[in-house]
Amino acid sequence: MQPFDYLIPKDHAEASALLAAGGGSVRPFMGGTDFLIRARGGFIRPQSVVDLKVLPGMREIRQSPDGWLVIGAACTMNQVAAHPLVLAGYDLLAQACNSVASYQLRNRATIGGNCCNASPAADTAPALFCLDAVAETYGPAGARRIPIADFFVGPGRSALQLGEFLTAIHLPPAPTGACGAFNKLGRTKLGDISAVSVAVYAWEHDTETPRRDWRIALGAVGPTPLRAPEAEAALAADASPQGVQRAAELTAAAARPIDDIRASAAYRRAMVAVLARRGIEAVLAGIARAGLQAVPFGGVPAGSVSPTGVLREGRPEQMIGGAA
Amino acid sequence: MTYQTIGTDAPRIDAAGKVTGKTLYPGDITPPDMLHLATLFAGRPHARVVRIDTAAAEAAPGVVAVFTAADVPVNEYGLQIKDQPVLCGPGSTLAGADRVRFVGDQVALVVAETEVQARAACKLIRVEWEDLPVITDPEAAAPSLAGGLGDPDPTRPVPFQLHPHRADNVCYGYRIRKGEVETGFRETDVIIEGVYRTPVQEHAYLQPEAGVAYLDEAGRVTVEVAGQWTHEDQGQIAHALGIPKEQVRVIYPAIGGAFGGREDMSVQITLALAVWRLAQRGIVRPVKTIWSREESIIGHGKRHAMKIYTRWGAKRNGKLTAVEVKVIADGGAYMYTSNKVLGNTTLTCTGPYDIPHVAVDTYAVYTNNVPGAAFRGFGGPQGHFAAESQMDKLAEALGLDPVEIRLRNILTDESLLTVGTPIPGGVGMTETIIAAAKAAGWTQDEAGQWRKPVGLGTRDQGSGGRSQESGIPNPQSLVPSPQSPIRHGLGFAAGFKNVGFSFGYQENSYARVELRGAGEIAEATVYFAGADCGQGNHTIIAQVAAEVTGVPFERVKVVASDTSLMGSSGSASASRLTYMSGNAVKGAAEKALAAWQNEDRPAVGEYIYLAPKTTKLDPETGQGQPNFAYGYVAQVALVAVDTETGQIKVERFISADDVGQAINPQQVTGQIEGAAVQALGYAIQEEWKAREGRVLTDKFSTYLIPTILDVPDQMDALIVEVPDPNGPYGARGMGEMPFLPAAAAVAAAVYDAIGVRFDEFPLTPERVWRGLRGKG
Repeated sequence: MQPFDYLIPKDHAEASALLAAGGGSVRPFMGGTDFLIRARGGFIRPQSVVDLKVLPGMREIRQSPDGWLVIGAACTMNQVAAHPLVLAGYDLLAQACNSVASYQLRNRATIGGNCCNASPAADTAPALFCLDAVAETYGPAGARRIPIADFFVGPGRSALQLGEFLTAIHLPPAPTGACGAFNKLGRTKLGDISAVSVAVYAWEHDTETPRRDWRIALGAVGPTPLRAPEAEAALAADASPQGVQRAAELTAAAARPIDDIRASAAYRRAMVAVLARRGIEAVLAGIARAGLQAVPFGGVPAGSVSPTGVLREGRPEQMIGGAA
Repeated sequence: MTYQTIGTDAPRIDAAGKVTGKTLYPGDITPPDMLHLATLFAGRPHARVVRIDTAAAEAAPGVVAVFTAADVPVNEYGLQIKDQPVLCGPGSTLAGADRVRFVGDQVALVVAETEVQARAACKLIRVEWEDLPVITDPEAAAPSLAGGLGDPDPTRPVPFQLHPHRADNVCYGYRIRKGEVETGFRETDVIIEGVYRTPVQEHAYLQPEAGVAYLDEAGRVTVEVAGQWTHEDQGQIAHALGIPKEQVRVIYPAIGGAFGGREDMSVQITLALAVWRLAQRGIVRPVKTIWSREESIIGHGKRHAMKIYTRWGAKRNGKLTAVEVKVIADGGAYMYTSNKVLGNTTLTCTGPYDIPHVAVDTYAVYTNNVPGAAFRGFGGPQGHFAAESQMDKLAEALGLDPVEIRLRNILTDESLLTVGTPIPGGVGMTETIIAAAKAAGWTQDEAGQWRKPVGLGTRDQGSGGRSQESGIPNPQSLVPSPQSPIRHGLGFAAGFKNVGFSFGYQENSYARVELRGAGEIAEATVYFAGADCGQGNHTIIAQVAAEVTGVPFERVKVVASDTSLMGSSGSASASRLTYMSGNAVKGAAEKALAAWQNEDRPAVGEYIYLAPKTTKLDPETGQGQPNFAYGYVAQVALVAVDTETGQIKVERFISADDVGQAINPQQVTGQIEGAAVQALGYAIQEEWKAREGRVLTDKFSTYLIPTILDVPDQMDALIVEVPDPNGPYGARGMGEMPFLPAAAAVAAAVYDAIGVRFDEFPLTPERVWRGLRGKG
């Protein structure tokens, strides 16, 4: 690996200036789990790296006064997955974080890095799409907020501009009675990059009428993570067994998979339907267990595996995928 | 027979060093003042090197020297035949060495002050290539063989010739004719035909190729490297450098796995060449190299992909009458050990059965793929996949239990192999089958017939009832709910394989034992060249020396793997080291003990063990006595198949292995578990991909091997001990056997679960899913 300088910025402005001045030869650095693989392989040849995780707030998880959850971009996967506020309101995100690579890598890999790599297979992305996350960035023009769906632009391309970096993920207050399930398929049960992932999320629209809102988001089956709005709308109207099957098919129709070394497009599309159906069933079961009491996220078992067990887990370039 | 040390779980003599990190592997050795070597690989599957311009590389910072084909005195090497240039390019001593035949051919070497400088300079070498047509399908490379069973058709034109010595691109072949196969088929009640394809497999050892070379105090070109046979490496280096063997020394430090992948040369010759040429220029400095994982994966040989056409006939009672097989193995660009691997496929493609009429034709074919090479099981896993899948289909066609049909045909001390000779005594095939079957819950009915446990598999799923005696745990979880996409299945397969080098080679192994002390023996030292690749051989030889001399195990020292200190003990391959080293060290220790009793101080015993003789096979009939010992195995896989995703989970895996006598049961268990996991990776997960000779899976993020979570929930390593008549304390080799039938056992279990046959693997989720869709 070609040697490079390691820079500790004194504040956000200096970090931004360093990144802007260096062009592509100065790289942002957080967990480094993806960066080091790429540098070692010669895919990137940075002159220096700027360690962003030392900046204030980057490794904090806190609740804002307006009830939003603010997750610093350099929080590790294990930190996010185990945080009481995450577990209390955003179990779906904890499931996704816990599925990334191996425990050891999750000690380094950061949620921000997972997003900034902008891999279509980023495991936290489908959960963040379902949760209507907002990315907060800092750049030469100061701070700005970007809806998560706009943050992912294409394979390996995020909305970040030169000199700009991700500072936090903001999650809106968790609705009452919400429930989520994240499932994915990889070629091994530990460490493989997802060939397909599906996050499903639902909550009670209001307590007067028995209506639910749904979110379904997909990973590794398009140039970016995707939502499946037709399936979401269909489920809101009909969550009967036939409705669930219909929604699963609509979810598969929303996928835009390709053939690659991990799986064919045909297999990926078919698996989207399977994982979507299992995810929806798990969410319905979770909601049924939680009842209408104000016990958000109570009932969903970790991993929200359907009773027969989707053999979930898996991935490594992201194990490799973590922080930029 | 009770022993003092044999049969005990003596702690591994290398354990403390490895666990504490003190042990040095080749890449850890860093002599002062050393230089670094980087290798320029061809990166293209078939091409002529028109010109190499090294000027820019030589002028690059830190570069000490650049070597090309012109610098290799005798530019050829190879374990079986010398058909591969050390470096490909013009100006070679060898005609035709300007051609690369696969992506991992080596073209140039750069020696520099640092690894970064060496690698950077490598990229400055300008090579002018003339690309040549690429051929990757063996049946296209050797069209005479295409089209299934039957004799070759030599009238079909060969597209082009890959090597001057083989006009038909067929690098080796065997032929067995026992009985009259057509007569045999006339006597059958049922005939099953199949065409099987087995995949390439990467060794994926932990330690990529690495080594350090230097001139030792005696001026010898010395290479410290991870290999499998020190003295063979020494010979290959000496040949390429054109110097006497005595001027070459090979030492093995700790070896990070081998599995056959280190039998052929990797960095041995290139490191030696660099040190020797530098010394001629007055630069006497050590040279080190470490291949990257990507270089390792393209740079060493792979398990042969094979296509196996086969036709089996049996009578209604399950007795086999005739078997016809044709095997086409992808030998890749060079011979490596294809001839020997193929010999083993030739013997195993008819399974461990007594068959009256047999016709077997096997071929290895040159292509532009990464060479087929030695890999644990050495042609046996391929042969067994076809044979044992055929037996599973026959059992079904005849309505017989898979264990029952096997036992009705099984090889015993009395039966003849397809080569017309009996197995050298102590055939434990029946015992291993019964041990595995019983562990999985098979029972015998009143008539003595073996019956599979019920409650599993396609045909009896949903009934819910299961045998009470079954060893399969947690029966409730196996009763599928109507909605559950999970189906369970049980598969059985068995196998056998030779131990030791064979087909007429006089097997031999050197050992020396020295005893020191005054009144009592205080210490025993064993000198032995065999490689401990991680399998634990050096612990085994310490146990044997302790047993013979009565010296406590802790006071036996092992000095190993240095060609300057000992004779050749042979290769760490063919499951041979326990057998060969055990006999060699036993002989040496007995002689040392006699010398001790004769008051010699130190008392020294030197011994070369010669195994029983074997013969080549008759070229027309294949008849002969190719091997002096065998090992036996039977396995059961319990799988859960997710019928929606195609994912397979091996919930339980049973492997019963006849090891003759477990010298160290803990190590035997380790070998069984390790082989089973590696074989399950081969069967289910590991998917080698190449396009037009270019490797697409040259990383562990693209070539996936099992993780700890992919290992079966329950693994049963059952040790069966039917003594080998000539093995040390009755021991026979076993390191490869637990690999042999695993893929067939899994495929049978998957069929049992979902009713879909797979004649090709790995059984990836997508392949299983496609199979399920194809079914309806």
